[in-house]
Amino acid sequence: MSNDRLDRYAELITRIGANVQPGQTVYVTALVEHAPLARALARAGYASGARLVDVRYVDQHVRRSFIEHVGEETLSESPPWVMARTEALADGGALIMISGDPEPELLADLDQARVSKARPVEASKRQLQAQTERTVNWTIAAYPTEGQAMQMFGEPDVERLWDAVASTVRLDEPDPVASWEAHTAKLRARCDLLDGLGFDAIHFSGPGTDLTVGLLPEAPWMGGGVSTASGISHVPNLPTEEVFTSPDWRRTEGTVRSTRPLHLGGTIVRGLEMRFEGGEVVEVEASSGAEAVRGELEVDEFAKRLGEVALVDGESRVGQTGLTFYDTLFDENATCHIAYGLGGFGIDGLDELTPEQIRERGINLSVVHTDFMIGGPEVDVDGITRDGRTVPILREDVWQLR
Amino acid sequence: MAAPVMDERLEKYARLAVEVGANVQEGQTVFLSAMVEHAPLARALARASYGAGARYVDVRYVDQHVRRAMIELGPDEALEHTPEWLKTRFRATGGNANIATTGDPAPELMADLDGERVGRARMKELAEIVRDLMTERKINWTGIAYPNEGWAEKVFGEPDVERLWEAVAFCTRLDEPDPVAAWREHMRKLEDRAAQLNERTFDALHYRGPGTDFTIGLLPNTRWLSALFRTADGREYVPNMPTEEIFTTPDCRRAEGTIASTRPLALTGDVIEGLAFTVKDGKIVDVDARHGADLVRGELDVDDRARYFGEVALVDGASRVGQTGITFFDTLYDENATSHIAYGFGIPEAFDGEPGEGMNVSTVHTDFMVGSPELEVDGLTADGEAVPILRDETWQL
Repeated sequence: MSNDRLDRYAELITRIGANVQPGQTVYVTALVEHAPLARALARAGYASGARLVDVRYVDQHVRRSFIEHVGEETLSESPPWVMARTEALADGGALIMISGDPEPELLADLDQARVSKARPVEASKRQLQAQTERTVNWTIAAYPTEGQAMQMFGEPDVERLWDAVASTVRLDEPDPVASWEAHTAKLRARCDLLDGLGFDAIHFSGPGTDLTVGLLPEAPWMGGGVSTASGISHVPNLPTEEVFTSPDWRRTEGTVRSTRPLHLGGTIVRGLEMRFEGGEVVEVEASSGAEAVRGELEVDEFAKRLGEVALVDGESRVGQTGLTFYDTLFDENATCHIAYGLGGFGIDGLDELTPEQIRERGINLSVVHTDFMIGGPEVDVDGITRDGRTVPILREDVWQLR
Repeated sequence: MAAPVMDERLEKYARLAVEVGANVQEGQTVFLSAMVEHAPLARALARASYGAGARYVDVRYVDQHVRRAMIELGPDEALEHTPEWLKTRFRATGGNANIATTGDPAPELMADLDGERVGRARMKELAEIVRDLMTERKINWTGIAYPNEGWAEKVFGEPDVERLWEAVAFCTRLDEPDPVAAWREHMRKLEDRAAQLNERTFDALHYRGPGTDFTIGLLPNTRWLSALFRTADGREYVPNMPTEEIFTTPDCRRAEGTIASTRPLALTGDVIEGLAFTVKDGKIVDVDARHGADLVRGELDVDDRARYFGEVALVDGASRVGQTGITFFDTLYDENATSHIAYGFGIPEAFDGEPGEGMNVSTVHTDFMVGSPELEVDGLTADGEAVPILRDETWQL
């Protein structure tokens, strides 16, 4: 792996992803195995004029011991210093999160109910609040590891994974920054089109899937980047191929079958099927890993409701690799997906409302947000207008709206 | 699948650090500080801490390469800045256990940077919080080393990690059938030696050797100690593994002469060679070195008490570290190979009552080695009699 590629990647993450501003503190969250990228991000952050680059390394093995040993009440605790760091970050910081699990099944043999509970709830809430209130310019990008390559290819071929990652994040382009600008413009045009059509619901139909997701008139379609309240544009996911919106948590009906494996809390969920009634998940089945999903749906009262519906077509660079990355960051950009848990993206003024008021408007609030893939060539996607007409959006993965 | 592969030696080593070193108590939070390259040891320490009944283990990984980026490319204000959350974390260590790992994977990483900036790059407020916690003796803590390629390369000229592991295992008595019992026996020997010196109540020490003619005053209300410490509320711990020294805090107002370091001194970022100090009225007034003098000068300017002395320590030829004949380029080891002195912060544990004016208080504490077979150390009594303590690295009392 060339240092040059790593440095260019870090620069892309810093400039297009988080769009770090001079004088900002940059908070990087990484696994210890991501150290080479975290170091490159520190260099890129300072080169962009950061006041400080604060890297926090997480260690999955330490987390494993934590889940095995700590008392029930400690599992979901947020230590005061973790809260303090989150508060500082929420106050106008830039946030870069590195994904890419080097040992995807490390936690698979543990009690999955404890794995689901093992999260600093208050700190997660505070960070999600900052993201919802748009006080932070943030991004998530991946670092290729041997463990992930092993899982994807059956051999630790990191170089092959690097090639795939480089293609999906357009690092193979002569001018990646310019290429990103054109790409995000295309996604934003799709959002404008969908907003103009003002669908009341989206319908997915395919093998094992007959699902209607009600939409909210006030929730915009989003994609190709967002802005903070103070006007810093950033691209929250590298790569990104989706346009998405926050659906009405009260109006999801029918059944859905996941079309790709889902990597969740150290285990792999395969063949996931869910049934919704009145917006709520009432049944969960899977050929493996169902417990991890059921555990997560119990984390809070609103985890069982949808917070996102997203559309991706066959032009997706992620989809074109034909690979399953076992990482939501990539896999959710391969095809259409929905997420249970937190919603509310792109809706202004929520910071002045109580959680009850937000939920009354149909916007879901939860500490959970888990995407799973439901799209593919066999899944037709239609928009349903307020007067009940059906408008094709995707057929055989080809975008139909012009 | 799942269950991580365990390295038995590493697990045993971690248990030694947790049980004898920090002596982690049931229900304590354990704060670990490690470099990212030390992750295998940090993981084993987390397991051992939970095994000893820790309530929660918080690992803070530091990355020298991120620090390098800050020194090289960051703004001036970043150099001494302590983030609020880090202050919160360190304040929470009071009453709890702390374990830090050493073993620099890239000992010369900062060597090509501006020495003045490297010297200034320390979190000042954090150092003050740690200094206060140390003064109040609120933490049971220890430091242990993790053998790694970069460190082995520095020591042997090749990345022979296994050879370094063997040296570390020997020095930390991990090669004994029952390391915990071996440590208890060893600490008892060092305590006896400290007791011998305490009976003598010397007024000063005199060092004589090549480049060295140095007298440093001792205080009547201090004691010589081995590194078997107790927190203010009585938790026993061994702050350094290995430890071979007996030491005390000198009278920071009374030191005179010249003193030459006999081993390379590894500071963060570079290795200082041929260091020598000129001392007047207790204060370092001149610094000389073949290499790295600026880094030392930078450290001496960190606060206005860094130029005064905080520790004198005696080590004889029976030291396991000394017996290896290896220069480890790591203070945790090298200070236990031979006699040494530290500038900066004193030893609060060495006082029977409250520390008085004679004990130096600073945010710096750096040990440098002065011992060698040529060095003669005498104790000076109040009426001026000289009593030999060390000759040819052999204990004389």
